[in-house]
Amino acid sequence: MREKILYILGAAAIAILVWNINAIARLPEETRQGVTFKIIFFHVPVAIGAVTAACVSFLASAGFLITRNFKFDAAAVASTEVGLAFLAANLVTGSIWGREIWGIWWTWDARLTSALVCWLLYAGYLMLRQAIEEPTQRATFAAVFSIFAFLDVPIVVFSIKWWRTQHPQPVFWAGGSFPPDWTRHLMWNMAAMLMLGIVMTAVRYRQEEAQREIDSLRRMAHAI
Amino acid sequence: MHLLAQVPFLAQLATEEARLQHQYEFLSYGLTAAWVILAVYVQMMIRRERKLKREIASLRAMLEEKHGE
Repeated sequence: MREKILYILGAAAIAILVWNINAIARLPEETRQGVTFKIIFFHVPVAIGAVTAACVSFLASAGFLITRNFKFDAAAVASTEVGLAFLAANLVTGSIWGREIWGIWWTWDARLTSALVCWLLYAGYLMLRQAIEEPTQRATFAAVFSIFAFLDVPIVVFSIKWWRTQHPQPVFWAGGSFPPDWTRHLMWNMAAMLMLGIVMTAVRYRQEEAQREIDSLRRMAHAI
Repeated sequence: MHLLAQVPFLAQLATEEARLQHQYEFLSYGLTAAWVILAVYVQMMIRRERKLKREIASLRAMLEEKHGE
């Protein structure tokens, strides 16, 4: 039953994204940036997805350290991996937008740099997990590292407020304006990306549980 | 005279078309990149799922065999 719900949610997310691409293509050009501006309809939703995943990972890691329940560890690794994929999509779409609008693929601007550092930190989290074999030690070290990595998330989010950056100011919370019609499409994409993120995290969580089952079966096989 | 006046307009139209084409090219790169990254990740998850299922099945079979002995 749970599996069916996940598949339906995933299919609905993909249907919304496909329908929305069609609708976004029909929207008029932005005055200054032209058609390239429409990358925002994917760039922002994947960023929101990545930040949400980082928050879930932070809470799950704290949950593991408090309760020592491995379900929290599974949730932390699942959301971190999905968040990493979303952040990669965010960095790449941003870079493509920058090439067209700024004329450069990359600049060591506060927002871009902190986002790259964030990606590297979470990639380091996954590598750290690979390096430690003992499950309790792996989960504890990973949880501490995840909490440390999360410190970068507010820096990424507020970097455009705290420093003068080349990155554009946010459209919604910096007094910017966005036509209501465009907002609707952006919101649909955000909802779809979040749904996709939930499905991916749930599938990855189940895989982590399966990995734990494999570990216990191995221990049983060794004991016999 | 009328035809000649149209030439600059046509040139402008061609420039505009080239600009739009260039921008659509970058837009398609952006969208393709986002989709490809997510699709590659989903593919990795599907592979991992298969591998885990195979491992669980083989370990269970091995344990049953050991119990039988």
